[in-house]
Amino acid sequence: MERRISYFKQKGDSYIFAASLGLVISLGMVVWIILVILTRGLSFFWPRDTVLVKLQNDSAYLGEMWESKTVYRVDAEGKEHKEEQFQLKIGNRDLYGRDFIWLTRAQVSEESDPTEAVTIERREYGKFFGFIRLVQIGDERFEQPGEILIEKAQEAHRLAIATRERIENTQEDLNNLMQPLANLQREITLLQLSPQAKTEKGQQKLAELQEEATKQEQSIADEYGILNQELERLTLQNRSIILTVATAEGAEKEIYFSEIVRFFQPNMMSGPAKAWIYAGKLWEFVADEPRESNTEGGVFPAIFGTVVMVLLMSIAVVPFGVMAAIYLNEYARQGTMIRFIRLSVNNLAGVPSIVFGVFGLGFFIYAVGGSIDQFFFSDKLPEPTFGTGGILWASLTLALLTLPVVVVATEEGLLAVPRANKEGALALGATRWQMIRKVVLPNALPGILTGLILAISRGAGEVAPLMITGVVKLAPTLAIDGSFPFLHLDRKFMHLGFHIYDVGFQSPNVEAAKPMVYTTALLLIVIVVLLNLVAIYFRNRLRKKYRGSTF
Amino acid sequence: MEMLQKDMEMMADTAHPEIPAEFFALAGEKIVIETTDLDFYYSAESHALKKVNIRIPYRKVTAFIGPSGCGKSTLLRCFNRMNDLIPGSFLKGKVLIEGEDIYKNGIRLEELRKKVGMVFQKSNPFPMSVWENVAFGPRVNGITNKSELEEMVESSLKQADLWKEIKDRLQASALDLSGGQQQRLCIARTLANKPDIILMDEPASALDPISTGKIEETINELKEEYTIVIVTHNMQQAGRISDYTAFMMLGEMVEFDTTKKIFTNPKEKMTEDYITGRFG
Ligand SMILES: Nc1ncnc2c1ncn2[C@@H]1O[C@H](COP(=O)(O)OP(=O)(O)OP(=O)(O)O)[C@@H](O)[C@H]1O
Ligand SMILES: [Mg+2]
Repeated sequence: MERRISYFKQKGDSYIFAASLGLVISLGMVVWIILVILTRGLSFFWPRDTVLVKLQNDSAYLGEMWESKTVYRVDAEGKEHKEEQFQLKIGNRDLYGRDFIWLTRAQVSEESDPTEAVTIERREYGKFFGFIRLVQIGDERFEQPGEILIEKAQEAHRLAIATRERIENTQEDLNNLMQPLANLQREITLLQLSPQAKTEKGQQKLAELQEEATKQEQSIADEYGILNQELERLTLQNRSIILTVATAEGAEKEIYFSEIVRFFQPNMMSGPAKAWIYAGKLWEFVADEPRESNTEGGVFPAIFGTVVMVLLMSIAVVPFGVMAAIYLNEYARQGTMIRFIRLSVNNLAGVPSIVFGVFGLGFFIYAVGGSIDQFFFSDKLPEPTFGTGGILWASLTLALLTLPVVVVATEEGLLAVPRANKEGALALGATRWQMIRKVVLPNALPGILTGLILAISRGAGEVAPLMITGVVKLAPTLAIDGSFPFLHLDRKFMHLGFHIYDVGFQSPNVEAAKPMVYTTALLLIVIVVLLNLVAIYFRNRLRKKYRGSTF
Repeated sequence: MEMLQKDMEMMADTAHPEIPAEFFALAGEKIVIETTDLDFYYSAESHALKKVNIRIPYRKVTAFIGPSGCGKSTLLRCFNRMNDLIPGSFLKGKVLIEGEDIYKNGIRLEELRKKVGMVFQKSNPFPMSVWENVAFGPRVNGITNKSELEEMVESSLKQADLWKEIKDRLQASALDLSGGQQQRLCIARTLANKPDIILMDEPASALDPISTGKIEETINELKEEYTIVIVTHNMQQAGRISDYTAFMMLGEMVEFDTTKKIFTNPKEKMTEDYITGRFG
């Protein structure tokens, strides 16, 4: 027996088995976490049935059943009691002040799932669970329960949404109309504050500007009046399209239809109808702005911010990384110095990401951004333009963070280029640069793309350095829009990774936001995978072209 | 150059004892490449060429033979300064090409390598189309005119005996050609540069007999217009295609003479042993 064990040890297979077991366990956990994210993330939008529970103490709740568990309680006599508990999402935050309650089975006297119960998603205060009592469209009132009532409610909702859109458009027209005047007034204020105002010339300019402002004010007065009236009319109109609902206990509540995102009767809906709602909510999630301090609505700005930031980062990191790698590999004399530089670059990959964030803050934002402000945007100081966090600085910080990855991968790509091809090019009278450009770089491109893929994977998920270089909880504008110069590198932006942290841990309503965390995490994974797939697609095409290289 | 020729003719007449035999062998030839006491070191310890003196005649085929590791490739690569790429290597002595010292300051390597083309032992087509491979040299040397390039590609492929086989596949990847075709493509690629001298380092050693035959045929046609220096391990091949042969051994030039003389009546015992296959 002794001998067999020592032989077993000698073979070393046991270590391999232990190691592979560990690997299998780790892989299993990865699969498990992805499955959890997938199921939780995707099921969040499915319209759930509602239940009406009446309690022994005569109170009643309507809501969605979320979780249930069994707890064991020991009473004073030492006897163990089994207790069934369940969590009900009761919504109606404006009435109850909370979204969830825990109840025990023993408290419940009656449970049913009424078909006429409606679930209403509102722009504010979250969901409302209740029963429709009355639909008002102007002077018309409908309160006869039945199918007609629902149809009327739908009609009212469509009308209110259309009106809401018109209000938004009118508001925008109004803003556009006022913009030049607002600019002028800002100029006047700045001039008044500046030392120039004391000089004669300054006074004269000021007078001119003020005259101009008055002129403009007069010229837009008519149109302003019309638009304002229209705005008032529309707003009033929407105030007259009202839904009155009752809670499970009969308390009534009026809701403007324009404040409703959607409503439905889950208990009487068929599968396809639910799927339709599900698709709508999914679309809203990826295409809309967030509401209710990010716990509801969509995450479009965060998706947009993430993608733009990753693209900017790629644009910055690839040329630098590739040039550095080319220099290290093709130009520099290999020696102690180069070995040291290479070692430093590799070690850069091990620096904690927050340190890069601090560097970005100190160097990019304060030093570079501050100087840019002083030279080009001095009229806006002390309000910073580039001297504060923004998408450019965040992207550059991440570019620095991912630089080693690109350098290392590119170097490997360069090493994989056959020496015979390089010599062949030189023997034909090519200069070193021509050789690099025409023979080495195309051959190394798959390696470079590998670097890019790794950089994207690393960069897209990084949150810590962004928090001090420009990410915000809620950005009022996107980094790319229709106003000149279209790409606004100085703007703050939203990011999915930060969004997860913010919604899950910083929002006032953490319990309600939990599913949002899963969904956003899922989305982040999907985006990283998509970006990678694009790069992998190009790499495979190139590989096919340069079959000689093993990259 | 002419002076040298006259000198040689004179010396051939007088049969001077101290004059190396090759001078007589080269009587009447114009000399294109000439080395004087060429030493090459891969590093201070690795002395690869030792006091090599050789004269290579104009528009003839000169073969380098010798056992493996004797320095044939090294010598060949001194002629287009390919050895410059090896870090830590250095060279003593002189290499004159058409009378000009190619190791002096101010020589433009690109010009030199355009003039002195090279074909490698293992074919090394670029991962591009056949057409782009052949046009590579002219393009890096500044020719952009499309029709001029077309013409150069066609004439180079014809000279390399490849045109008939692949004229319909010019846009196909060069990596799809057979090994022999790839090697002839590399010859065509070198020819497209319109070099004066072509260096070939065992161009057929990785090929089957038929492809080898084709390459030899190509070389035979090319010698009308080019000075060719070829390294080979194949004695028959050297005998078939070369006019002059140099036998090297341990970094030294042992014997240089007309191929006929080397193969039938070598002066050195070592040469005879090598050729008859007694060692090496
Ligand atoms: N890059 C290099 N670095 C150091 N030494 C080298 C290098 N290339 C060749 N050598 C050495 O120089 C000597 C001559 O090599 P070379 O390649 O010229 O031989 P060769 O005659 O061409 O041999 P073969 O017939 O096998 O090709 C050999 O001893 C070889 O080991
Ligand atoms: Mg060799």
